[in-house]
Amino acid sequence: MSQTKTKRSVTINPGMLCQPIGAMQAVLGVHAAIPLVHGSQGCAAYPMRMFNRHFAEPAEIALSSLGEDAAVFGGADNLVKGVHALAARRHPELIAVVTTCLSETIGDDVDGILRKVDLPVKLVPMHTPSYVGSHVTGYDNAVKALVTHLAEQTGPNSKINVTVGLLDPGDIKELKSMLGMMRVKAIILTDITGAFDAPLILPRPPFPDGGTTVGEIRDTANSIGSIALSKHAGGAAVKYLEMKHKVPMIAGACPIGVENTDAFLDNVSQLTGRPVPDELRKERGRLIDAIIDVQFKVAQKKVAVFADPDVASGMARFVHELGMDPVIVATGTESKEFVKDVQAIASQTGHEIEIILGCDLYELHEAIKRVGVDLLMGNTHGKSIADDEKIAFARLGFPVYDRVGYQRIPIIGYNGGINLVDRIANAILDHADAA
Amino acid sequence: MRQIAMYGKGGIGKSTTTQNLTATLADMGNKIMQIGCDPKADSTRMLMGGKMQPTVLDTLREVGAENVTLEEILHTGFGGIRCVEAGGPEPGVGCAGRGVITAIKLLEALGAYDEDLDFVFYDVLGDVVCGGFAMPMREGYAKEIYIVASGEMMALYAANNICKGIVKFAEEGEIRLGGIVCNSRNVENELALMEAFSERIGSKLVHFVPRDNIVQQAEIRKKTVIEYDPTCNQAEEYRKLARNILENDKFVVPEPITMDELEGMMTEFGVI
Repeated sequence: MSQTKTKRSVTINPGMLCQPIGAMQAVLGVHAAIPLVHGSQGCAAYPMRMFNRHFAEPAEIALSSLGEDAAVFGGADNLVKGVHALAARRHPELIAVVTTCLSETIGDDVDGILRKVDLPVKLVPMHTPSYVGSHVTGYDNAVKALVTHLAEQTGPNSKINVTVGLLDPGDIKELKSMLGMMRVKAIILTDITGAFDAPLILPRPPFPDGGTTVGEIRDTANSIGSIALSKHAGGAAVKYLEMKHKVPMIAGACPIGVENTDAFLDNVSQLTGRPVPDELRKERGRLIDAIIDVQFKVAQKKVAVFADPDVASGMARFVHELGMDPVIVATGTESKEFVKDVQAIASQTGHEIEIILGCDLYELHEAIKRVGVDLLMGNTHGKSIADDEKIAFARLGFPVYDRVGYQRIPIIGYNGGINLVDRIANAILDHADAA
Repeated sequence: MRQIAMYGKGGIGKSTTTQNLTATLADMGNKIMQIGCDPKADSTRMLMGGKMQPTVLDTLREVGAENVTLEEILHTGFGGIRCVEAGGPEPGVGCAGRGVITAIKLLEALGAYDEDLDFVFYDVLGDVVCGGFAMPMREGYAKEIYIVASGEMMALYAANNICKGIVKFAEEGEIRLGGIVCNSRNVENELALMEAFSERIGSKLVHFVPRDNIVQQAEIRKKTVIEYDPTCNQAEEYRKLARNILENDKFVVPEPITMDELEGMMTEFGVI
């Protein structure tokens, strides 16, 4: 099992995004909440564009618009004015102040500055310097900040908390459907279906319907348990809820594929005492059937998976379940936990897996040339590598903007598994056709 | 746990006073962590018997944030004092202020703020120059500030400036000025001037530490006074300082004065 890590002092086509964009995605999943980026123009313009392209929806992001004077004299004035202007114009319930490289380096005391602001709106500071971690870390920090500033114990609520991570609206719908079948009430942290799967009905409401409410986040301290679907993105929040409010937590594998979804449903069952119903067993059966149907097309194909840590390790296990061979598993985020997870999969498959941590696409490309693979799974940026190497390509992760509707199609749960089976098999068939 | 930050003009004897103070407090049975927030990394030298310990930022640079362990950056010195040096970039490069923020956040993540500690001391370089060096003043860190000064114009000027910083952070958090510590330079009328200055800014003179060569003698031997000669007069002075801080109950938002007022005071006390 080899593990490579870039030793170059240059990154060529980075395999990750920056912390603030992860935090913004988390905040946009909260109803009537607006992320206020405390930084310079590009820190908001770029993420906004990324969200537009991937989700095909507008994203409302505010900015304290720091210039050179703020870099020298501190950004407090801009921030205070920005918060007031935003509150006056948009009347949000929550403003999350998302820090950036610039504001973290100036050392603005964002918590202190916000404490002085007296407005009828919840203000939550989120510390997300981009030179630490990745968008995954940013999402993790943001959800933790939400529960840290909002959660309070009042009385038991018989719900479970589920932190989602950087998944798509389609995944959240699938999650809700599974929990619905189990008759489990859940607080979803955070629910981006409101913002990023919004119906077009005129007149447009001031804020999209849906999303996790501030009240729900407050109530997370009273839940019977928490599950993190992506331990790298949401794990810190459930850990905090366990430590501070004694809400027991489970942070297992992302429910991609048969075994991981089984484990997730068992965890829900264990926390709530609700059995897994027959409907879900039937879905599981359909997934198994779909896997068997494509055996002759996919078996023993070598796969490279490139995605955020939780999706990448979940996907690696699933391609193994499909009878394929995960030979390269790469992520742009540094994580020892991820290495352990993938090593566990490798010891099950009995095959060597090349783990690439903190990678850029150049390194991934080199590894693919070296190892030789049949299928690459990754975001839109992986397309050119697949083209160069003349291998099949199946889209996975964020951002995907060269196909329509990606964000609507779940990859989690048994239904998500069926979608993935189809996507993988068709990618291989399309590739064979083209050859 | 009381968290205390020591500020003051560069060269005023902050590190010397802080180390002698923490050594004395440790000698009285207190559990202490001292964090040097200065790229020069000489804040805990006497406590460590002259041993230069690896700084947080050097360690970070060498092994990476994921691999830093508390054992590497936290060393135990005289009286069981847990000594940390934040460190920083080399002169002329990088951002030392950001270094302080990074170092404190890392210490927090590694669990250095042990609940059984009685005191955490931050020894911060010079004046408050940027958000980084103000880090110890933020909510959740030091709530008490002591300013080390002497009866010289520029030392008081710096002390007054630091008060302006405290006022700003006091509006946003619970930080208060605990008082002025005079590290005497034997200038004329020093005690009266320091008492008057402290009172004028709404605070008090915590202790007047007289000048005594034994401090230098101990320092040459890489020791604090309390370790070098616990029976000497100066050791008793540091004990008084320690007791005054232990028993201090006057924490204020200071009222900085204007330059004219400060110059007026210097004339009044016959310094200029």
